[in-house]
Amino acid sequence: MAEQDLILYIVVATALAFDFTNGFHDTANVVATSISTRAMAPRVAVTYAAILNFVGAFISLEVAATIASDVVDAGAITPLVIFAGLVGAIAWNLVTWYFGLPSSSSHALIGGVVGSVVAAVGFDAVMGEGIVGKVLIPAVVAPVVAFIVGGVAIVICYRVLGRQRPGPVTRGFRLGQIVSGGMLALAHGTNDAQKTMGVIALALIANGNLAEGSDPPTWVVVSAAAAIALGTYSGGWRIIKTMGTRIIKMDAAQGFSAQGAGAAVILASSHYGFPLSTTQVISGAVMGAGAGKRVSAVRWGVAGNIVTAWLLTFPAAAAIGALTYGFTRIFGTGALGPLIVCAMGLVALAVFLTKRARNPMYATG
Amino acid sequence: MLIAFIDTGALAKTVAAAFISGVGITLIFSLAIYGTSRFAELGREGRNSAALAYGAIGLAAGLAFVGAIVVGIIVMTSK
Repeated sequence: MAEQDLILYIVVATALAFDFTNGFHDTANVVATSISTRAMAPRVAVTYAAILNFVGAFISLEVAATIASDVVDAGAITPLVIFAGLVGAIAWNLVTWYFGLPSSSSHALIGGVVGSVVAAVGFDAVMGEGIVGKVLIPAVVAPVVAFIVGGVAIVICYRVLGRQRPGPVTRGFRLGQIVSGGMLALAHGTNDAQKTMGVIALALIANGNLAEGSDPPTWVVVSAAAAIALGTYSGGWRIIKTMGTRIIKMDAAQGFSAQGAGAAVILASSHYGFPLSTTQVISGAVMGAGAGKRVSAVRWGVAGNIVTAWLLTFPAAAAIGALTYGFTRIFGTGALGPLIVCAMGLVALAVFLTKRARNPMYATG
Repeated sequence: MLIAFIDTGALAKTVAAAFISGVGITLIFSLAIYGTSRFAELGREGRNSAALAYGAIGLAAGLAFVGAIVVGIIVMTSK
C-alpha cells in the first residue's frame, strides 16, 4: 500500500469520526425539546432523529466543497491539512459535549481547517470574505433571528390558545412536535452529512482518486449518512439536558414554537443560500420561546455560557487544527504523524472512558 | 469594510422569509388546535352549526400546516 493511500484512509476514517461526533453532538438540537415536553420518549426520539438524519443525507447530493472554494485557497488543501482540521473540529466537539454546551460543528470544522491551512502555508491562503460571510455574520444573525421568531411565535400562540383547556392544547402540540422535530432532523441530515461527504470528496480529489467536480462515490454517501445517524442514535445526553431543561423549563407549545421557528429559519436560509448554524438557530429559538413567555424564565447564565462557547468555537478549533498540523509535520509529510495523533487520541479517549466508568457522577453520556 | 463581504440581499430575504414562515407555521398550527378543540367542545354542547364553523377553521389550518411541511421538504430536496 502506498503511503499516500494510507494517509487517505486515515483522513476518511477521521472524517467519519467527525461525522459521528457531529450527529452525537447535534442530536440535542433535534430531540431535546421533544424529550423535555414528553412529546416522545428519549430513546424513541433519538431513534427517530437517527433515521431521519440518515434519510436526510440522501435527499440532496449536491456537494459544495465550501471549505475549499469559499474559506481557504483550494490549492493549499492537502490530505494532511484536512486531517489536522478534522482533529481540531472533533476535539472541540468533544470539549463542548463534556461541558454540555451546544456549539456549531460546522464552525468547528471550518475553524479547524483554517487553522491547519494557516499552519501549513500562512494567512495568505485564508479568504477573509468567506470567513466573514460564512462564519462571522451567520454566527450573529442566526441566534438573533431565531430568538425573535421563537419569541413572537410563542406570544401569538398563547394569544390564540390562552383560554382553551390545557389538555387538548398540550396533546396537540406534542403531536405537532413529532412533525417539527422530524423536519429538523431531515434538515440536519441534509446540511451536516453533506459537509463530511464534501471533505471526503476533497481528500479523494487531492489524492487523485476522484476527478475534480465529480459527485462523491456511493460508498462515501452511504458511510457519511450511516456515521451521522449512528452518532445521532448514540445521543449526547449532556447537551440534550442543557437544551431541554437548563435554558428554560418549557411546555409543549414552547417546544413546538422553538422547533417550528428553528425549522423555518433553517429552511429559509437554505432556500436563499445564506448558511446558518443549526445549533445556533435552535438554541436561539429555545431562548426566544422562553423569553416570549417571561423574560426571567430564561436562565441567562446558561445562555451566556452557550454564547461564550459559540465565540470560542472558531478560534479554539483553529488553534487545535494548527497545533495538530505542526505536530504531524514533525514526522514529515508521511502517514507517521497522523498515525501517532490517532493513537494519542484513542489513548486519551480510553483514559477518559475508564475514568468516567469509575465515577458515577459521569453516568450520563 | 465588513459590509462589502455580506450578500445583503440574501440576508434580508432570509430574515424576512424566516420570520414569516416561522411565525406563520406556529400561527396556523395554533389555529388548527383552536379549531378542533372548539369543534369538540361545541359539538358536546349540541351547538352543531358553530361547531362546524370551528371545525372548518381547524381543517383549513391543518391543511395549511401539511402544505407548509410539503413546501419545506421541496425546499430541502431542491437545494
